[in-house]
Amino acid sequence: MDNGMEGMLDTYLLETEGLLDRLDEMLIADEKVGDFSTDDVNEIFRIMHTIKGSSAMMEFNSLSVIAHHIEDLFFYIRDKGIDTLSTEQKKELFNLMFRSEDYLRSGVDKVKNGEPLEENHDEFNASINDFLKKISNSGDDSLEETSEGADGQSPVAAADSLTITNLPDDPKAEVFCHVYLEEGVGMENLRAFMIVNAVRESEIEFRYYPSDMDSNPSTAQAIIDEGFYFAFDSSEAANKAELVLREQPHILSYEFINASKAKETPMPEQQPEEIVEKQPAPQAAQKQEAPAQKQAENKSQPQQKQSAPVKQSLISVNLQKLDSLNDLVGEIVITESMVTSSPVLKLLPQESMDTFMKSARQLRKLTDDLQDISMSLRMVSISGVFQKMNRIVRDMKQKLNKDVKLTIIGEDTEVDKTIVDSLQDPLMHIVRNSMDHGIEETSEERIAAGKNPQGELILSASHNSSEVIISVTDDGYGMDPEKLLDKAEEKGILTKPRHEYSKKEALGLIMLPGFSTNQQVTEYSGRGVGMDVVKKNLESVGGTISITSELGEGSTFTMKIPLTMAIMDGMKVMVGDTIFTIPIANIRSSFKIDNAEVILDENGNEMVERLDTFYPIVRLKDFYHINGLYDDLKDGVLIWVEAGDRSCCLFVDDLIGEQQVVVKPLPQYFNPYNLKDYGINGCSILGDGNICIIIDVLGIYNQAVENT
Amino acid sequence: MAEELNIQSDAETIDDKEDSLNIERCLTFESGGLLMYMSTKYVNEIINEQIITALPMVPPHIKGIINLRGSILPVLDICMLMGKESAEYTNKTCIIVLNIGSDSVGIIVDKVRQVIDIDLSVAQSIPLRNQQKLTNGMLTLDTNEVAMSLDVNSLIPTQMM
Repeated sequence: MDNGMEGMLDTYLLETEGLLDRLDEMLIADEKVGDFSTDDVNEIFRIMHTIKGSSAMMEFNSLSVIAHHIEDLFFYIRDKGIDTLSTEQKKELFNLMFRSEDYLRSGVDKVKNGEPLEENHDEFNASINDFLKKISNSGDDSLEETSEGADGQSPVAAADSLTITNLPDDPKAEVFCHVYLEEGVGMENLRAFMIVNAVRESEIEFRYYPSDMDSNPSTAQAIIDEGFYFAFDSSEAANKAELVLREQPHILSYEFINASKAKETPMPEQQPEEIVEKQPAPQAAQKQEAPAQKQAENKSQPQQKQSAPVKQSLISVNLQKLDSLNDLVGEIVITESMVTSSPVLKLLPQESMDTFMKSARQLRKLTDDLQDISMSLRMVSISGVFQKMNRIVRDMKQKLNKDVKLTIIGEDTEVDKTIVDSLQDPLMHIVRNSMDHGIEETSEERIAAGKNPQGELILSASHNSSEVIISVTDDGYGMDPEKLLDKAEEKGILTKPRHEYSKKEALGLIMLPGFSTNQQVTEYSGRGVGMDVVKKNLESVGGTISITSELGEGSTFTMKIPLTMAIMDGMKVMVGDTIFTIPIANIRSSFKIDNAEVILDENGNEMVERLDTFYPIVRLKDFYHINGLYDDLKDGVLIWVEAGDRSCCLFVDDLIGEQQVVVKPLPQYFNPYNLKDYGINGCSILGDGNICIIIDVLGIYNQAVENT
Repeated sequence: MAEELNIQSDAETIDDKEDSLNIERCLTFESGGLLMYMSTKYVNEIINEQIITALPMVPPHIKGIINLRGSILPVLDICMLMGKESAEYTNKTCIIVLNIGSDSVGIIVDKVRQVIDIDLSVAQSIPLRNQQKLTNGMLTLDTNEVAMSLDVNSLIPTQMM
């Protein structure tokens, strides 16, 4: 039983988080255009409906109530059409929705951490209701007065209605309507409030009691026991309301009571002027169309949406299960090659051997496919993390009142799941810093500096042999190395004489603990804990961060993180017994040369001419001090590689072939040996279980060409 | 491929002795002509017949890396660490996979013997002080053989360098 509940909770969390992510995506996209599309209004309505339902089921009432209110709000908007809102109101709605999203998210987080949910959500409820009132009033001014009137009186009225008499104390009211809900519908106060909203939509002036039913769950019991009341100022309004009430679901019965008569006699059980018993079943048959339609919209649409093909094609899997699947597949591959290369097979007669090899080849193909698939399972697109940055930029834009455009490049770069997780915090810190300190305070300042008044922040992701490179670029102030040095001096964190600091080192100062150039601590950054945490976080996953900045032109933070598992196209080459893999992306061409083509410099370093430019030759066997097959350049193969603007030729014994490989970092054990400086920063497990070493062309170039 | 540890407990030793005893299950193995032991709490598994991929630019005692069910492990030759000739590979040669802190390493040994209970409190320090890099104690086994305690922490490069 407990397990069942756990499982349900997991499903609930997953589903709700998914919905909130979807909501976030929509809100960001819509806000860029400054408008909600009709589809999105429907979708938000459905999302809120689903969250409301599942939260209520899990008994997370505060979440359910909030979601319910937003649902109501969007029900209204959907009904009236989004175009009835003014631009101002839309803006407010966006803010409200982002706040709601945050509220729900924090609730979900609390559930996740097993903390109790905040019970006090009245304030937030009120802000949603205020907004609903505001937009509903802008369409009909008279309603505003009514609701204000109700607001003024409600506290007294509510108290009175519950203690002294059953009829609410409302001197202005002509006619009361006493409504009982069906038994056991649950969340009575909210159901009642939905009915109230429905009546309000038909532009009738009225007040309702208990007036705090929307925000006070304890009124639910009173509503179960005693029903709830509408107070109408005229009998016309009451008649109009009756039409609406007839169509509402979950009403057991309602009766209209003439207020003047009720007042004459203190007994509230006074013969009502008019009693209309609503028999839900037979009446429903007559009124089928309207309520059925409404119900269909309310209830079944979200479910239809959930079973839409897009949602169903994704499932979530425990990461550990994936890991063990990968391990198992690896073992199968190894075992397969053990079986097919077993010496016992040589004893088989030729004919049986042929049949065996045929089946073995088939098996090999299948295991290869299996391995490819299992390895690709862990890869996820980085867009999820970038999406969150979108939200941060959006929030800060408003808070700091800066106009900034966020440009995202390469968001479909696929990286290992663990990297995505470890990337989020550092990225957030950097984006915040750039927004807060990087971009100029005002657009005037930008115009004065000859820049586009709108600031720009560029987030980009790309792969490079065995690293994923994430960069955050802003076109703001840029950093002044002198200022940084001043500051560091003042804080006493310089470790060597000031004039010995290079520009790069000066920029690196901001990543020291306790360094913050901003005099004022803001909500987002400036505590001087940001960047050193970023650096530490990145280092814990083996990554590095570098900063470039031009004063007045902006700064770029580049994070390089080794891929725990990145699939890459590589060319396998052989040097002696060792197999290296060179990323195909780095290879320009491979060719054989005659000894005559080799050009020597004064130190005997070898070069070769290609397309009118000379390139140094790096003999891998000498570079790595391993035994190669050939000493003569004409026997082996030259591979012309380039990384960025650097280019050279690598001399290897032979090419083996092209293969997709999964990049794995070397064990941490090797960190002290600085293998990265020698162009080795990863390896890969080949199909037969053997390991090949992946070459980083840039590392080799730096070591072999620039350091000699 | 993985060979189950051959566990032979020596139950009597536990019963007879007093509380101050520090009995641990230890794996005994031979390497470079020495009999050595280490606590089984470091031992993950014992494998044999593994292809070792050599890695350039590392000290010679690091034989290379192996693929153990998808994870990459460094493999050390403790014979070479002790300044002897590289171990000869026979069908008894195997790799003991150790977990030392967060690191996993494999060490090549000539032969794995068995798991026994050893009272670590009777271990003595090695009289030739400050000359040993890998071992940190010695004791006489019930079979009257002298065994050296392998200090697994010495296998981690930060300690070695």
